[in-house]
Amino acid sequence: MEPIATPALDFAPYIILLPMLAFPVILFLGKMFNGNKMWKDGLKEGGLIALPVMATSLLLALWLVTDYVGGAGRADTSGWTWFTSGMWDSGQTTVSEINLGFGIYVDHITVMLLFIASFLCLLINTFAVGYMNTDPINDNRNHRFYAEFVLFCSGMLGMVLADSFLWLFIFWELMGLCSYLLIGFYYERPSAAYAAKKAFLTTRVGDVFLMVGLAMLWSLFHPHAGAGQGALDYAVVFDDQNIKAVAETGSSTLAWALGLMFIGAVGKSAQFPLHVWLPDAMEGPTPVSALIHAATMVNAGLYLVARMFPFFGSDYLYNDLADLAFIIAAIGGTTAVMAAAIAFVQHDLKKVLAYSTMSQLAYIFTGLGAALYLANTLHWHEYLPDGTKNPDYYTNHAIVIVAFGAALFHLFNHAMAKGMLFMASGAVIHEVHHAHHHLHPHDDHHEEHPEELLMLANYLHDTDQSVFGFFNSIDLDQSGDVDTYEFQKALKDADIADLPPWEMQPLMQALDMDGNGRIDIPELELTLGRIHLASLSGGDGHHDDHHDEFDAQSMENMGGLASKMPLTATAMLVGSLSIMGFPLIGGFWSKEGIIANTWRVVRDDPRFIYPAMCVLLGAAMTGFYMSRMWLKTFAGSPKTEVAAHVHPTNTWIKIPLFVLTFMSLGAIVLASMGFTHWAPDASYAPFFDGEKSFVEGLVYEMNHVFANSKLFFLVLTYIAILLGAIVGPGLALSLYGGRLDEGEEAMPWFGPVLAINQFVKGRYHWDNRSFARSGFATALENRLYFDHYYDMAMLKIVAAFSTKAAEADSSVIDGTVKTIERTSQQLSTGLRSLTTGSARDYILMAAVGTLALFAMIWGVVA
Amino acid sequence: MIDPAWVSGLSALLFVIGLAGAFTRKNAIIVLMCIELMLNAANMQFAAAAVHHGDTTGWVYTIFAIAIAASEVAIGLAIFLAMYGQHESITLDDVNVLRN
Repeated sequence: MEPIATPALDFAPYIILLPMLAFPVILFLGKMFNGNKMWKDGLKEGGLIALPVMATSLLLALWLVTDYVGGAGRADTSGWTWFTSGMWDSGQTTVSEINLGFGIYVDHITVMLLFIASFLCLLINTFAVGYMNTDPINDNRNHRFYAEFVLFCSGMLGMVLADSFLWLFIFWELMGLCSYLLIGFYYERPSAAYAAKKAFLTTRVGDVFLMVGLAMLWSLFHPHAGAGQGALDYAVVFDDQNIKAVAETGSSTLAWALGLMFIGAVGKSAQFPLHVWLPDAMEGPTPVSALIHAATMVNAGLYLVARMFPFFGSDYLYNDLADLAFIIAAIGGTTAVMAAAIAFVQHDLKKVLAYSTMSQLAYIFTGLGAALYLANTLHWHEYLPDGTKNPDYYTNHAIVIVAFGAALFHLFNHAMAKGMLFMASGAVIHEVHHAHHHLHPHDDHHEEHPEELLMLANYLHDTDQSVFGFFNSIDLDQSGDVDTYEFQKALKDADIADLPPWEMQPLMQALDMDGNGRIDIPELELTLGRIHLASLSGGDGHHDDHHDEFDAQSMENMGGLASKMPLTATAMLVGSLSIMGFPLIGGFWSKEGIIANTWRVVRDDPRFIYPAMCVLLGAAMTGFYMSRMWLKTFAGSPKTEVAAHVHPTNTWIKIPLFVLTFMSLGAIVLASMGFTHWAPDASYAPFFDGEKSFVEGLVYEMNHVFANSKLFFLVLTYIAILLGAIVGPGLALSLYGGRLDEGEEAMPWFGPVLAINQFVKGRYHWDNRSFARSGFATALENRLYFDHYYDMAMLKIVAAFSTKAAEADSSVIDGTVKTIERTSQQLSTGLRSLTTGSARDYILMAAVGTLALFAMIWGVVA
Repeated sequence: MIDPAWVSGLSALLFVIGLAGAFTRKNAIIVLMCIELMLNAANMQFAAAAVHHGDTTGWVYTIFAIAIAASEVAIGLAIFLAMYGQHESITLDDVNVLRN
């Protein structure tokens, strides 16, 4: 395949560089201008610096995308060399050379993820401006958020554009760092700090395996790397001749290397068994959850596995990697069902979405596993290894490509839908939070006692004065009451405050109860007494407890929001339908593909029945929990007073929701353009290689899905639709939600949904309380005890080991160093005793020394 | 004439006496005198050698050594004067400011 060069490629490094450079800029400006009104309202504490940067990245990315889509070829540039070091043997010929540089590699997978990443980064940045800057808890620390946000974006974009596995890894780690920083954004909360650590360490475990895998890969490909190329460059590693050479001697090593790299992907994408960090990661602010843990970072693992496609697809490794493909699919299937099950019992809106992410990513892994299996076990290239033309080329090629394309398409759909779902949930939580504050304001508590009075109370306590004595001392004209001037002087003399007369007014009013403009002893005593009592009961603590009782994220506190937040409800409906795989919307086009391909493989390899059953079961489960989520939040009547007072969200948040709704609905458009065909295959153009028009493409896809010529797939599709769109949601409809309250108006498209809901719930409602209290439900609520067992393992194994290691460090290593110190000290003390300061001794030493010199020069022994 | 060998021997003897004195005496002026004794012994050795070899070079060295010894004594006495000004004594044992 010929590399093609476009001017877009020259600007491609800026896609990564601009956000990376914006990071220190926002950080420093934020620290410098912290608290400045212009910075806060005008620049949104860095949000409006980040936004144009991300927009520029998006534009550059779109330029690159439009140049590559349908353009046959890939680009591979070693754009920039940082340093080169060579090793020579004695004959001055270069033995080996290490070239450290950065280049851009673009093919269709890159382009797809580039679009997803840059598009979502921009949209979620917009969302963040509306979300973070309108919540007072974030005041004066948003610059940290935006700085880390852009750094993360640069990491994701860098990973996608990188031209070697090494740089992929570097940016992978950068993203991990930003994830840690952003989950722990509210670092004063112990739960957030714990969650950040957990996320980082769990992904780190995966990363260790990734590192080892990369090292093995390096050692395999090192002999075949050309001059100036790193052994992990895609140009080296994907080269068919190199793969052939490696396959001859080290195919099992290669399988192990890829397997270890896959474990890294498991950690990053929160699959079983390294999934434990994702639900806790919801401690971070919602934009973080949306971007990092739904739409981009967790896609990094998928990207890595997708990048392994050339290995699986190579004819020289025929059948060697089939087991690995099965493992990938099996882990995917397991996680899909497990995560969906745990999502059944979640009350927190964001946690449902977190588990949903886990489950859908598992779907994509299963799809990738199936695709990779097909790629590895079918002869799908034009020529067979022995040089003859492949008779099954056209059918097999299409099968493999479409299988891979389905997985990639699901990645696309999921990223768009999940990002939107998280943003919508953020909007809901935001508005519920606001409504809560409107209904239960706690500011009164503070306004009761102006600060100066508090200080006065402290002052009296510190100087051990009684109120009576103090009063008499400040009543200068001995009139029996204190007027404004006297009180002002008193405050000034006590060093509490030097207030001008107009600021004394509110203070006087707070104290003056009978309104005569002067304070007398009872009034002063009463107010100060109240302050004293309030301080005794720990006023602030009381305030906080009440505040925390109301969980703005719990679905138990919501309900009936469809009429109150129409756009958000619509967005969430579309997103949920997309994730569920409801016919014709969003994820449907790709999910059916994954299910079909997994079952296709079952016919070749019976082991695949396991992931295949998991995907079907998962489809039903997905239908259930997503419907449950939507119905509990938006349908029915409000469960709390707060929910009844919610109002729609602000424009900054609405824009991304609006845009992404259309993206999710528009997946049908992409499907008609033949996305599943040209996304994975670099030589395929859109619109079915330019052969079909849009309408023909649409007809083709609809035919392919609903009226497939093969009976097996036809039945399968309808079973999947039945499970995913009827059984699952139907169960939820019978349990939750219901009609909106009287007099509530909702958007017209909610009408049918709520009508069905009311119908099903009215007729088929059943009591699920016995299920809810069962042992299985309890286990699910405890997240299947994974956290518990991991904690035990950490405590018993890791903590014990690290204690021993710490002891060894302090005794052995420190001991060695200290011994050296001590010895040297003793030596020097000993030597010092020679300097007596006495001139006589020095003469003696001089003489003896000279004698010794002569003896040495002339030789004592003849 | 006297056999230069005897002069050498005397010079050696005087040198050792001077050396011993420089090691053991407390009084700074005595130490200076011992140093002079050593210088004198060295001079004597030069003279003996000059006679033995019949070379005038030896006499030149002798003259130089005398001159240098004289100036060295002057400087040494100046140092002792300063030392007395600082420490109120010329006992070398009392001057151990540089101890340790």
